[in-house]
Parts: sequence; structure tokens; C-alpha cells
Amino acid sequence: MLELLNISPITASLLVVLLPFVAFLIQAAFGRRSISGNIGLIAIILSTILSAICVFFVVWNGENATQRITWFTIGTKSFSVGILLNKLTVSMQLLVCIIALPVHFYSRAYMKGDDGLHRYWMYLSLFCFAMLGLTVSINLLQLYIFWELVGFASYLLIGFWFTRDAAVQANKKAFLINRIGDLGFLIGIALVYAQVGTLDLVELFGKSGWFLNDTTANITLQEINKDSAWLTFAGLAFFLGAMAKSAQFPLHVWLPDAMEGPTSVSSLIHAATMVAAGVFLLCTVFPLFNETVLLVIAIVGTITAFSAAIFALGQYDIKKILAFSTISQLGFMMVGVGIGAWDTAMLHLATHAFFKCLLFLCAGAVIHEMSHFKTHARLDFDPQDLRNMGGLRHYMPKTFVCMVIGALALSGFPLTSGYLSKDSIVVSAFEWASLHGNFYLAIPVTLIVVSLMTAFYIGRLIFKTFFGSFSFKQHTSTAHSLHEAPGMMIWPMLFLAACSLFPIFGLQPLTYQQTWLIQGFQVVLSYPVIHTAHLFIPVGLTIGAILAWVLGWQWYVKQKYPLHANNRWVRFSNRQGYLNEVNDVLFVKGTQRLSAALYAFDRYVVDGATKLVTWTMQQVAVVAYWFDKNIVDGIVNFSANTTYYIGHLARHVQNGQLQGYLGFALTVVILGILYLIIK
Amino acid sequence: MTIDLLLFYAFAAMAIGSALLLVNIRNTARALFLLFIVLFAMAGLYLFALADFIAITQILVYVGGVLILLIFAFMLSNKELLHDLQSVSHRFITIPRWQALIISGAFLSVMLYSVISWSQTMPEWIESAQMAGTVISPSDNNIQALGFRFMTQYVLPFEIISIFLMMALIGAAHLSRKEQHT
Amino acid sequence: MITITHFLVVSAVIFCIGLYAVLAKRNAIMILVGIELMINASILNFVAFSRYDKVNYGGQVFALFAIVLAAAAVAVGLAIILNVYKYYKTINPANINELKD
Repeated sequence: MLELLNISPITASLLVVLLPFVAFLIQAAFGRRSISGNIGLIAIILSTILSAICVFFVVWNGENATQRITWFTIGTKSFSVGILLNKLTVSMQLLVCIIALPVHFYSRAYMKGDDGLHRYWMYLSLFCFAMLGLTVSINLLQLYIFWELVGFASYLLIGFWFTRDAAVQANKKAFLINRIGDLGFLIGIALVYAQVGTLDLVELFGKSGWFLNDTTANITLQEINKDSAWLTFAGLAFFLGAMAKSAQFPLHVWLPDAMEGPTSVSSLIHAATMVAAGVFLLCTVFPLFNETVLLVIAIVGTITAFSAAIFALGQYDIKKILAFSTISQLGFMMVGVGIGAWDTAMLHLATHAFFKCLLFLCAGAVIHEMSHFKTHARLDFDPQDLRNMGGLRHYMPKTFVCMVIGALALSGFPLTSGYLSKDSIVVSAFEWASLHGNFYLAIPVTLIVVSLMTAFYIGRLIFKTFFGSFSFKQHTSTAHSLHEAPGMMIWPMLFLAACSLFPIFGLQPLTYQQTWLIQGFQVVLSYPVIHTAHLFIPVGLTIGAILAWVLGWQWYVKQKYPLHANNRWVRFSNRQGYLNEVNDVLFVKGTQRLSAALYAFDRYVVDGATKLVTWTMQQVAVVAYWFDKNIVDGIVNFSANTTYYIGHLARHVQNGQLQGYLGFALTVVILGILYLIIK
Repeated sequence: MTIDLLLFYAFAAMAIGSALLLVNIRNTARALFLLFIVLFAMAGLYLFALADFIAITQILVYVGGVLILLIFAFMLSNKELLHDLQSVSHRFITIPRWQALIISGAFLSVMLYSVISWSQTMPEWIESAQMAGTVISPSDNNIQALGFRFMTQYVLPFEIISIFLMMALIGAAHLSRKEQHT
Repeated sequence: MITITHFLVVSAVIFCIGLYAVLAKRNAIMILVGIELMINASILNFVAFSRYDKVNYGGQVFALFAIVLAAAAVAVGLAIILNVYKYYKTINPANINELKD
């Protein structure tokens, strides 16, 4: 153990990144023989231990570390790849490891018996490699490469059950929308490179890689006018990249569909880690953003949080609710970045990763048992539909407890981690808005409303799933009854449930400033602290959340549901605000119409033009033939004849006649004399 | 315009005019007789350069020797001589060949350009000779002076040129003799 | 006063006429005549410059040498011409295009 501790953080971090990759290669080589997933599991366990002991604790308490090697050189510019270890990157890396570890354990039970299990482990290792590499990249280009790898692994995992049409459609959709974001990211990289001349994070942002107020920051970046147009464009481009990856409002449509993948994948990739990569990117390049970009980020984040919360209200699919709640919480993080308090965004990212992963795993356990029950009882229903559940707390008490803890954390009840992080964002947003005044206040107000809605819809999910009476109670028997999930699934859930409580993040259960994550980042805020806000907003939010749960209890458990199931608003929410339909009409149908119009255009205008051009070309060809025959050939023949004639003349020089030679010699003499005279 | 300059122009005009006619006339025999006039005129020009002995030698050697030789050679070689002499009325003057004309014209213009552009300044040795007064005057006895120079200063070139002349004459005689084994 | 330029101009003209004869004539004898004209032109130059060389008389001495050389050249040249005529029955150098016997 002592020798292990002596490994430098850089080497350890490299091992953390490379171990899953080695696992991926081995599993790819073994093919079907590696269905147990032991290789990937061992790799991620080692990665987690290394990341925690040799990287995180060393770097968090000590100095930052960087290591880079030159990758290639173009002209005088050389690109380097390397590892950047600072508090942000090591905490992100550790977070990814810690989330990935229980998911790996969980997957062993959850994915048991699947046909393509070897592919599953391979992809999962690939994803871990890419995600861990993304966190510690020193270079924006390197970051982009891992970013793409992450997207690719996500694509593979969403379409894991590729025989299902919906899965194929979903991964195609995710891939296409992420492409929009990647384009933005690439444009951002190009802009930064063109203007600053480097993509190295340390060269860009100073020694620690993310502090703008660091005096060692790059001179060029300090001299840049923060309001210059290119900076705004670059910031918006980076944000576009983050928008696609982190599923922000117009580009969020891929995430609900991505739930077609295995639930364990959803919990790891589409709830905890990959979608947080966008937030992580924004935190990394935070010094690049100026006021305009930050405002755009805040507004988009608010819209996302609000719209996704509304959509979550009307869903019946248990995973879709969680997906929308993920989008909503990512919106919160974006607001955190947008108001400049990116430390709160990172805090929320970390807490959210735990409780959302927990929620997904619990949902996975429920779905798992529901589908088992479905197979055994020979029934035909959707195992993910809330309306088919109810009263499950009698059958799955441990899952119930875990999920309630996750739900409470999501709602922001005190003593949970969610309380700390969510309140930190809302309070910061309020302080920020009160500094700017007027319309800015709409953002914290919206966030409060969204918080209450969050509490309501997650309460709805809990009540609908675990309370009331089971829809298929008459089918349960001793032979095929619902029962608790296997231990391999329960233990990761319990671990995550423990992590969703406040002690993991800070010993003070009620004030977020005391969490070690916030204290570690030491962000200098641009707005004054309002102490009353720190008191009233958390209290108000807690009371509001309790009220929302009570309302949910009244509606769903006491069966006092006031609205009709086919209410317009419910339908609007259920159909995700018809956004997919709008997209369908706007982009798909539009594209089809455009294609039809283009076809017609092609058929008549282009073809007509082509025919006209053809006819013209024929006429031109005739003229050209004449021209060729008479002028071009004429020129050629003329030059040939001229050459021949000159040769004919020159032939006379070599005529064997003394007088000719003499004349020739004299000509040269005259030319020489003339040269001397003129010179 | 002094009389000697007038005479110089007259001789020069005679020499140039005869030479031009010489090269353009068709009849070789007439051309050779025109050469007489040219050589005489040249001898006259030598006199104006105060080289009386050279002029005499010119007349003796050229007119008395070379020209007679040329006429003999012409008469021996040209069997169309009579035909040529009779066809005088046909074309008196040959059409100049333009290539040769261009070359010689170019040569002339180059030389005239050089002469005129350099005539402003005399060579240094001429100027120093004029300063020192060591210039041949019409009253000098050139023949005596030449004789002295040949026998003293230029005795070696004189002997070499004598041997050379003998070799040339022997060679010419050898070339001209009849082939014995043909 | 007859300056040296007068002599040089006349000499240049005569020389070029001789040159023309050498280049243009289709008769070996006339070519020889052209050579004689050129030699005469150079002799004129010799004697013209010789006026200013009373000490050495170089110009006149070499003018005499030139005359002797020209005479010798003519003698040898005419001998060759006669031999050529005997063989080819022509003295046009354009028609003399064989080196073999």
C-alpha cells in the first residue's frame, strides 16, 4: 500500500484513464468469452482506488500537477497532449469513478443473461475510458477528442438493443443532435486557436487551469477585451457544444429518447456523468465567457429547467420522468454557471450525480422486477409505465427506502445533499439577480417554481409507484410474485443512498458554504451575500417541497385527483410540449418539403438549364471546332512552319561554305563589339 | 580647304568608288583592272600620310607583281573568259548579296562609330609625340631613315620576313608545278 | 590639315568593301582581291599612325612587312587556286565541296 501511495498523481491519473481502455481492448479481443464483466469491473475498481488515494487526496490538499508531451507540430505551433490535475479535474475524475463503480456492480445483476453482454461491457469500459480521459485533458483539442469518444460510446450504448427500432432511432437522434453541439464546440476551439494561438488550458487560463483571477494567467487572454465579438461567438459556440451534450432546451430532445438504452447505462451516462460533461466543459472554459454569454447561459438554463419540469409532470414512463428531471437539474447547473457561481454548479453536478444515479438504479430495479413478473405471469403490459405500478413498497422495501432518499434529495429536503446544492444555486441566483434587479429576478423566481414542481413530480413518481395498490394484484401468487431485487443490485443502491446524504459533502447539514467542494474551489463572486436569502429561501423551498409532497399524497394516494387524465395541459406535458412534433413538422417535414421542392426545381429548372446548356454547348462546340480547325491548328501550323523556316534558314549556316562560316563568325564578332559598345 | 585636303578627298573618292565598282562588277577581268585604280589611289593616300617609300613599294609590288599574277591566274583558270567579255551588255553589275551586305554594313557602322567616338581624344603616345615634336615632317628623308631602322632596330623581323618570303615562293612554285605521277 | 580621322574613315570603308568581296563573291580570285583590299586598308592605318612615330618608324616598317606578306599570300593563294582549278575545273568556292582526291 505504501508503494502504491508513492505513485505520482500524474502516473496514477494516467493509469486511471488507461485501465478501462485496457479492459476495453481485452474485452474486445475476447469477444463472447468476456460476458462476466469481471475485467471491466476490476479495471474500474482499480481506477477508483487509484483516483481516490493517489490522485484526489494528493491534488486536493496539495499542488496542481501537469504533464504533457508534444503530439505533433505544424509549422512553429506544436500540439501537446497531457494531463492536467487541479481540484476541478480530480474531483470530476473521482466523481466519474465513484459513480461508475456501483453501476458496474449493478450491471452484473441487471444485465444478466442478455445476448450481447460482451458488447455491453466493452462499450461500458470504452465509455469509462473516454469520460475519465475527458476530465483530465490538458488541451482543448484533446478534450474534444475524448468528448467525441464519449458521444460515440453513448451512441453505442443507447443503441445497445439494436434490434429494437426505437433504440436505433434514439441513438441516431442522439448522434445527430450531438453533432450540432460538437460543431459548436469545434467552432469555439477554432476561434480560440485563431485568436489566442493556443489550446492548452494552462496556457489559456493560468497555472491552475481555471482561475481567471490567477495572476499567472496567459497575458494574451488578460489583454483581450472581454466584450469583443469573437469572444462572444466563441463563448456561444462552446455553450452550443455544452447544450447538446448536457441536453439544454432546444437540443434536449435526444435525452428522453436515449432512455431506450439499458437503465444502468441511463443512470451512468445519461444522468450522472456524460450529460454533466457539458457543465464540466463550461466550468473549464469559464474565464472565456463574458457578460453576454453568461446571461445567455443563465436564460437557456432557466428555460430548460422550467420546460423540462413541466414535461416531467405529465409523463407516465418512469424513466422518462427521471430523464426530464435530469434535464431540469442540468438547467439548474447551467444557471449556476451563467450567474458566475460555477462552484455551485459543480456542487450540484456532484450531488445530482449521486442521487440521480440512485434514482435510475432504483427505477431499474423496479423495471427489472416488473418485467420478471410480466414474464412469469404471462401478462402483457409496459413494465416502465407508472400506471401499471403501485403499492410496490410491500414487495420491494429496500428499493423503496433508497428511492425515497433519492427523491428527497432531488426535492431538496434538508439533511440531503440535494438540499445543499440546489439551495446554493437558487440562493446564488437570487443574490445575483438582486444585484442586477428588474427582469433578472425572473430567473430565481422561475427556479423556485421549478424546485416546487420538481418536488411535486418526484413525489408523484414515488406515490404512484410505491403507494396505493398494485394494478395486477390479482395475478400475484406464491409462484410468481414481485420480490426484492437481488443483492448485487441492492448494495450499489444503498451505497449511493448513503452518498446522497449530507455528510459526504460537508459536516454542516444546512449551509452549503461549508461543503468542502465549495470551499475548495474558492470562487470569487461578483455579487454581495444577502444573509436573509440564506435563511428564507431554503426554508421557503423546504416548506414548498413539503406542501408539494402533501399535495401529491392527496392527489395520488388518496385518489383525489382533480384533473381529467386527458386534460389538455396534461397531454401537452405528456407529449413533451409537442416539441418532437414541432421538430418533426419543422425539420423533418420541412426537409421533406424542401426536398420535394428541390426535386421539382431540379427536374425542371436544373434539368432545363442543363438541356439549354447542352444545346448551347453543342453550338459552342461547333464554333470551337471551327476555331480549333482554323485558328488553333492555324497557330500550330504557323508556328510549325515558322520553326521549319527558321530551321531552313539556320540550315544555311552549316552549308560547308567557307564564306558562310566567315560571315557567321563575323556576325558574332559584330555582336560582341556591339555588346562592348553598349555596355 | 587647302589643296592637299582637296587632293586627299579626290584620292579617297577614287579609291572608294573604284572599290565599290570592283566588287559589284560582273566581269572579273574588268574588276581586276579596277583594282589597278584602287591600288594606285591607295598609294596616293599613303603619300598623304608622308610614307613615300611605302607608296612606291605599293606600286612596285602590287601593281607590278600581285596584279599581274592575279590576271594570269584569272586567265588561266577562267575558260568562260571570252564569253564573259562578250556578254557585257547583258548585266553590267551583279546584284549584291544581302547577307554579306548586312554584315559588312554592320562592320562599317561599328567601325565608323568607334572612329568618330574616339577621334575626340588622341591616344596618349600621339599627344606626347606631338609635344616632343617627334612627328614625321614632309621634309624628312624617309628612305634613309627606313634603311637605318631595317638594318639596326628591325633586323631580326627583316631576316625572318625574307626567309618567309622565300618559303612562300618555293611553296607556290611547288604547288604550281605539273604533277609527275598523274 | 588631314587628320588621322580622315585616314581611319577611308580605311574603314575600304576594309568593309574588301570584306563584302570576301563574303559575297563566287570567284576565288575575287575573294583574293577582297583580301588585298583589306590588307591595303590596314596598311593605310599603319602609315597614318606612323606619322607620329618618328623615333621607331614602326608603322612604315610594318606596312612594308605587310606588303611583303600580302604578296607572298597572293603567290601561294594563286598557286592553290590554279591547282584547284585543275582538279575541279571551277574556281567558285561554293562548288568545291570535296576533300578527297
